[in-house]
Amino acid sequence: MNIETAEAAKEPRGVKTDTLFINLGPQHPSTHGVLRIGLTIEGEVITKAVPDVGYLHRGTSKLAEVRGYHHCVVLTDRWDYVSAMPNNLVFCLAAEKLMALKVPPRADSLRVIMCELNRIASHLLFFGTYGIDTGAITPFLYAFREREMVLDLFEMVCGARLTYNYIRIGGVMVDIGDDWVAKTREFLEYFKPRLDEYDTLLTYNPIFLARTQGIGTIPKEQAINWGLSGANLRASGVNYDVRKADPYSGYDQYQFDIPLGKTGSCWERYFCRVSEIRQSVRIVEQALDKLAPGPVMATGVAKVPKPQPGEAYAHVEASRGDLGIYLVADGQASPYRMHVKAPSFINLAILQEILAGRKVADVIAVLGSIDIVLGEVDR
Amino acid sequence: MTQDELLSKLASKLPRLEKASAQVKDYLTMRLPSADELVPTAKLLKEDLGFDYLEMISATDWLGAVKPEGYIRNPNPNIFLAEGATPQSIPTATPGFNYHPAFELVWTFASIADRVRFFLRLEIPRDNPRVPTLTGLFKAADWQERELFDLMGILFDGHPNLIKILTPDFTQGHPLRKDYVHIKDKYDE
Repeated sequence: MNIETAEAAKEPRGVKTDTLFINLGPQHPSTHGVLRIGLTIEGEVITKAVPDVGYLHRGTSKLAEVRGYHHCVVLTDRWDYVSAMPNNLVFCLAAEKLMALKVPPRADSLRVIMCELNRIASHLLFFGTYGIDTGAITPFLYAFREREMVLDLFEMVCGARLTYNYIRIGGVMVDIGDDWVAKTREFLEYFKPRLDEYDTLLTYNPIFLARTQGIGTIPKEQAINWGLSGANLRASGVNYDVRKADPYSGYDQYQFDIPLGKTGSCWERYFCRVSEIRQSVRIVEQALDKLAPGPVMATGVAKVPKPQPGEAYAHVEASRGDLGIYLVADGQASPYRMHVKAPSFINLAILQEILAGRKVADVIAVLGSIDIVLGEVDR
Repeated sequence: MTQDELLSKLASKLPRLEKASAQVKDYLTMRLPSADELVPTAKLLKEDLGFDYLEMISATDWLGAVKPEGYIRNPNPNIFLAEGATPQSIPTATPGFNYHPAFELVWTFASIADRVRFFLRLEIPRDNPRVPTLTGLFKAADWQERELFDLMGILFDGHPNLIKILTPDFTQGHPLRKDYVHIKDKYDE
C-alpha cells in the first residue's frame, strides 16, 4: 500500500476530494444576466460563495446629476427592465414630493393598474424562467403566451413593450384609449383560469417540489437582518409590504391580501410570487371599477422644473421588493443627488450566506428563487 | 404612529439625537451628533426600540455643483440643437445654497412591527471620511456600505470586506463625488 492510498483509507468514507474553485457566469443562462458567482466547492458541497456584480453598471445616479427631472424618468426604465412601471412611479413620487404636486385621482388609478399589470408580467417571467432553472421548459412557453398579452396592453397605452416612460411627473403620459378597459377585462377573464393551469403544471409537480421544497431556507430573523424585501421577505413569514405599510397612490383603498410563507424555502418564495399574481388581478379589477373620468396630469408641472432645495424619499413595492429613491434638490434643474435603493441589489447579498453548505445543484434553484434583475442590481 | 409620537419615543430613549434642521419630506429626520455614537445608537434602536430593519444607507457630497470632467462624453447632449449653437449648460451652483466640504450620511431605520421609519443623518468631514460600520448589527449594511465606499469614497471602519462592488477595478476615484474627474482608460475611444 503506497502513501496515497493509505491516506485515502483514513478518510471516513474512503473518498478524498479536492477543493475546487469554479466561476458561475458572468455569461451563463441561469444567472439571468451578467452575474458571476465565485464558488469554492469540496466535492458536491459549496464551502464559499462570492457573488460578483457590477458588469451592468451604467451609473444612472451620476447621469441623473446633469439631466432634468423629466429626463431622469427615462433612466429609471433601465433599472428593472422587466418591470419598469414601478421604477417610473417611484421616481415620479419622489419628484412630486419635492415639487409639491398633487396627482389627479384618475392618474393614480392608472398608475396602480399599470404597476399591478407589470407585476403580473414580471412574475410570469419569474414563473417561466424558474421552471427552466429547475429543469422544466414547458411552463416558460405558457407564461410567455400570457406575458405577451400584458405587453400588448402596455403597447396600446404607451407604445413601448419594455421601457415605458409612461408614468410622468405629475401624472401619466397620456390617457388610455376607448377600448383599453374592455381589452384589459377581457385579458383578466382569460388569464384567471390560466393560473390554475400553472399550478397543475409546475407548482405541485413532484420533481419541482423535490428541487425546491426545504431548499435555501431563510429564517425570519435572518431575512430581516439582511434587509430582504418583496416576496423574499414575505416567504420567511414577515408580513411587510410597502403597499400596506406605507401606502402610496391610493393603495389603501384596495382590498388585497399579502401572501405569506413560513420557512422561506425556494418553493415558498416561488409560491408567494404566484399567489401575488392573483392579488394583482384583484387590484386591477378594483382599480378598473373605480376608474373615474378626469384629467391624467396635474396642472402647473413646469417644463424645466427647478424645485426648492430639499430632500425627498419615496418607496414603492416594486415587483422585486421595496424600491426606494432618495432625491436631494439644491434649486437647480437637475437632482443634486439621486440614490436608488434597489431591492435586487440588497436581496442578492444574502446569497453569500445561504449558499454555503449547500450542494452545487441547489445554486441555480436558490439563485432563481431570489428573482434578481441585473439591471437593477448594478443600476 | 405620527411623527410627534415617534419623536417623543426616540427622545425618551436617545436624548442625544436631535431633530435635524433639514427634514426628508414626510418622514421624521434626526441628526446624530458624532460618528462615535452611531453604533451604540443603532444597537439601542435595534434591540430596545424595535427598529430591526435597516432600509437604506445613502450619502450626499455637499461640495458644490458637479464637474463636467467627471463624464466620459458630453454629459448633456441635445441632438435637436442647431449646429454651432451653445450646448446645453450643466448644473451650476445655486447662489445662497449652503455648499460646504462635507459628506452627509443618511440611514433609514424601519420597524417592521410598528410600520414606521425615520432617517438618521450624520455629517462627516470630507478630508477624513470615516464612519463606523453597521455590519455587526445589520447585515443589510454589507453591500450598501460597499456601494458607498465604491461610488462616494467613504471608509466604513470595521467592515469585513470593504472592496469595490459596482465600478470596474481600473476605475480610479469615486464617481459620485462632486469633484470626480474621469481618467481615460482602455475602453475610452
